[in-house]
Amino acid sequence: MAQNRSVPVSLFFTCLADAFFPRVGFATAAVLERFGAEVRVPLSQTCCGQPAFNSGNRREARKMARKFLKAFAGDGYIVTPSGSCAAMVKNEYPALFRDEPAMLSLASLAGERTYELSQFLVDVLGVTDPRSSFRGKVTYHDSCHLRRGLGVFEAPRKLLRSIPGVTLVEMEESDRCCGFGGVFSIKYPHISCRMVDDKIERILATGAQFVTSGDIGCLMNIGGMISRSGYPVKPVHLAEILAGDVEVPL
Amino acid sequence: MEPLSRFFHRRSEKALADTALQAAISRATGKFLGARADAVAAFPGFEAARDEGSRIRRETLDRLDFHLARFIAEAERRGAVVHVARDGAEACEIAARVAKEEGVALAVKSKSMLAEEIGLNEALKSAGVDVVEADLGEYIVQLAGEPPSHILAPAVHMARERVARLFEEKLGEPYTDRIPELVGIARRRLREKFLTAGMGITGANFLCADTGSVVLVTNEGNGRMGTILPRVHLVVAGIEKVIPGLADLPVLLRLLTRSATGQPISTYVSVLTGVKRPEDPEGPERLHVILVDNGRTGILQGKYRDILKCIRCGACLNVCPVYQSVGGHAYGWVYSGPMGSVLTPLLAGLAEGAPLANASTLCGACAEVCPVKIPLPEFLLELRADEREQGLKDPAEVFGMKGYAAVMGRAGILEALERFIGVISQVLFKEGKAPWLPFRFSAWTDRRDFPAPSPQPFRKLWKKQRGIRP
Repeated sequence: MAQNRSVPVSLFFTCLADAFFPRVGFATAAVLERFGAEVRVPLSQTCCGQPAFNSGNRREARKMARKFLKAFAGDGYIVTPSGSCAAMVKNEYPALFRDEPAMLSLASLAGERTYELSQFLVDVLGVTDPRSSFRGKVTYHDSCHLRRGLGVFEAPRKLLRSIPGVTLVEMEESDRCCGFGGVFSIKYPHISCRMVDDKIERILATGAQFVTSGDIGCLMNIGGMISRSGYPVKPVHLAEILAGDVEVPL
Repeated sequence: MEPLSRFFHRRSEKALADTALQAAISRATGKFLGARADAVAAFPGFEAARDEGSRIRRETLDRLDFHLARFIAEAERRGAVVHVARDGAEACEIAARVAKEEGVALAVKSKSMLAEEIGLNEALKSAGVDVVEADLGEYIVQLAGEPPSHILAPAVHMARERVARLFEEKLGEPYTDRIPELVGIARRRLREKFLTAGMGITGANFLCADTGSVVLVTNEGNGRMGTILPRVHLVVAGIEKVIPGLADLPVLLRLLTRSATGQPISTYVSVLTGVKRPEDPEGPERLHVILVDNGRTGILQGKYRDILKCIRCGACLNVCPVYQSVGGHAYGWVYSGPMGSVLTPLLAGLAEGAPLANASTLCGACAEVCPVKIPLPEFLLELRADEREQGLKDPAEVFGMKGYAAVMGRAGILEALERFIGVISQVLFKEGKAPWLPFRFSAWTDRRDFPAPSPQPFRKLWKKQRGIRP
């Protein structure tokens, strides 16, 4: 495996990992470094602008996109533990700058360099076994943007299945939306909760100890309902499972 | 039909509280989805057909004026009278005039979403024409005095027990909740109407420009009976229903019936061309076609042109987790689900329809099933952007977004804020969870916990672990 070659990677840790789940950022860096990536963390990064873009506030979204492109200027891969943030950069930035040719080409270049973590591990680094110490019965929720936005379905499953301590159990309709939807979850909380209720029903039916996903937004939503209702299943980010033990200097 | 989409929030809350409605919707959408999946799996050419169907619809729209002119000329050559209506009111006027001139007092009608859109039944009723819905689902909702809740299955929201009680109350029939008996009652009641009606009213699934034909895709046979038995046939169709020719029909039919009900073909496909000729055994003596614009030309000229590709299969409704949760009535107008969330703001106004455009997680399931590849999530995003551009957004949201961009504009400001909130959260929240949040964020914490902010953000911790250099 690609141990000895040095692959430059800029870690796009996402605003949600930054503020709420620093563990996810460290786990992502740990897995990448385990497979030979030279991880840099551009510290001027903040948010990709997805909340503004998805709610139609394009002025603010454009501002954030410009900031992102500046923070991640240069070459090397951009890797993020979030399907929706990767999809924002890859799929939506070009639309955002369709009337600004110079920005558009910058955005397209950044888009080509951007990968979601599991996609990067499998497709670029050729990882087959993440060498994780994680143990437990796990079910995987496909985030909409990772599954339909980036077309990533097999990569996270391949990685999870190859961890000796992990048993992967599929839930019904694993790619059915959990109801997060960013601002949607605040604008229409009743529909959002109904959707996450449906999702949790399918998660519980698997009897898994852990539910994982490649998107922090989904896990906040699913995890928030699990925590409030006291369901016997624990949300864990995919990066944390792939990393196994993670050292967080808290 | 008066749009009530601006009340989506309240209507959707009501729908979620209605357990009978919930059961009915989930049963129906589940059935449709399963059938669709089987039909698609059994037809290996489905993806290629989607490309082809999408191309046909797009190219038709690109030259819609040409195809419409051709349809009008060909239909008139075969004895039809073609009317063109700028809006719903004009279409209703024409329909009332046609009914009066043809001396019609009773009309039987097949399901037509356009008729709902323009309020045709009400208009004809006030012109003294009795209109009886002949599609079973439409017949049921008409008896109940409700609008349809699904573009394909109008009474999908009703359990059979409710239909049974409705037939008992409105028709004076003895109570039965056995479906074959209920269908029998409707058939018997409708049969008299078919035999006495002076006019049959239908929509159109497609209008073939090269032959001037009106194509109807139905399962119950009411469409065919209503176009053959009465002396007059009145068609109301949106101008976007035209396709270049009969040769384009097969691929669109393959897509439509599989996407809609999972059938390889519907029970009836009627290609109705012109009036009855002397040698024909049956058919209408008079055929009127009203082509209705009602805002479509405006859509055609703008960035949402592709929504006019829609062939009304309903697949996007069935697959949409929001539609599955709240059903069609919550959307407050004729069209529901993803296609309705795009069409309503365009046809009824952005101020009216914007709540629908916002009521989506952008999960993309709709775009995945759309047989003519309409970029529905992109359009929902675009409508939200229009809402901001036109100053229709809630000022609190705009204020919040400006604040978000100001904080996120500088990593230093963000980090300072994160550390400040991190410290406060240590005091306020225990066990890493926030059971309440201030302001509008409380909408999240009514039923869910929010993660408590980390005492220190990742960027600070990373610097601590690795030094200032990234």
